[in-house]
Amino acid sequence: MRAERLKGHLDLLLMSVLSRGPGHGYEVITRLRERSDGAFELAEGTVYPALHRLEEAGLLASAWAVASGRRRRIYRLTPAGAAALADQAEQWREFSGSVARVLGTPAAGMTWRPLSRGALA
Amino acid sequence: MTRHAADAPADAVEDYLDRLLVTLSGSPRQVRHTLAEVEAHLHDAVAEGMAAGLTEPEAQAQAVQRMGPVTGVTGQPAGLARPSLALARRLTLTAALIGGAGLVAVGGAGLVARALLAVKGDAYLTAPWPQASYTRADCARWLAGDPGTHSCVAAMLADHAGDFLLQAAAAALLGLLALAGYFALRRRWRDRATLTALPSGTAEALGTALAAVAAVACFAVAFDTEMTQRGIGAGEPWSLGVAAAAAAAVFAVALRRTLRRTSPA
Repeated sequence: MRAERLKGHLDLLLMSVLSRGPGHGYEVITRLRERSDGAFELAEGTVYPALHRLEEAGLLASAWAVASGRRRRIYRLTPAGAAALADQAEQWREFSGSVARVLGTPAAGMTWRPLSRGALA
Repeated sequence: MTRHAADAPADAVEDYLDRLLVTLSGSPRQVRHTLAEVEAHLHDAVAEGMAAGLTEPEAQAQAVQRMGPVTGVTGQPAGLARPSLALARRLTLTAALIGGAGLVAVGGAGLVARALLAVKGDAYLTAPWPQASYTRADCARWLAGDPGTHSCVAAMLADHAGDFLLQAAAAALLGLLALAGYFALRRRWRDRATLTALPSGTAEALGTALAAVAAVACFAVAFDTEMTQRGIGAGEPWSLGVAAAAAAAVFAVALRRTLRRTSPA
């Protein structure tokens, strides 16, 4: 999936990943990649400003800890973040459901194909 | 070896962290924390790459490539993190400091001029215009502003001396505003990129040089006026020269402090 399209939903995805348990930046990226079967391609560095922004908004909290021999900033979802996640997830389901209904299902025997150059001439 | 690894510098991770350090903005604590997070992330990614069979340089290059440009980590548009912006900010700070201090010095020249005026009179502070360069109307205006005087030249000198003192006071006010702007901007632009865009002490060195040149020029004019015009009008360049010399001394002291603070022990 293109990174530009993903950016609009990054906060929701990060909160969703952290709803399964606290983690540092690299863990968050790894979980995101695993749970999406590698579909989400984004520069890993872009996760940090998003995590910091969510923390400033009170949706995440962080604490420094030593793990695997390195000092790491561990993020966790706050109660406000859990509420925001539930709200945004519901909005996403409604939106994606509506889009799916508009797109519909191709009729039997038909397949989607792009219009040829002369189709509208 | 992949193409990325072949193109990579000796230590791609260290190079990336250097670039990130000079690009990050925010408080020193925010900068330290983000740098520590990204460093741990890159080392994790390198370890994962090496566990998958890559050589260390290959794993470093892959980790840096996956991390993306440093502007992605800062969360700023690329344009905001360009060195040119940091340089523009630093130049703005330098101009505000030197300009503000210079204008305040002109205000100080007004105080020196006021003292000279009290001791030596209007004719010492400002020179009269050549007779053909002013009209009766000018004379009438000057005399109206100084009703106790009957001489056009004396009224002109008093008027010009007053103008000089007024302009000096206005310059001092503008200078104080510029310095207030300088301190406000300096608090706002504390990011490392801005702080390191010019060598440490640049503003102080430039201020010292400019003020010293101004002082020498003013003293030369004042001395020449003393010699050729019997001192008539020498007060202005003397007062400006004294103020410029004082400004040069203040900048020089600040420069010395900065160099002592930043030079290695």
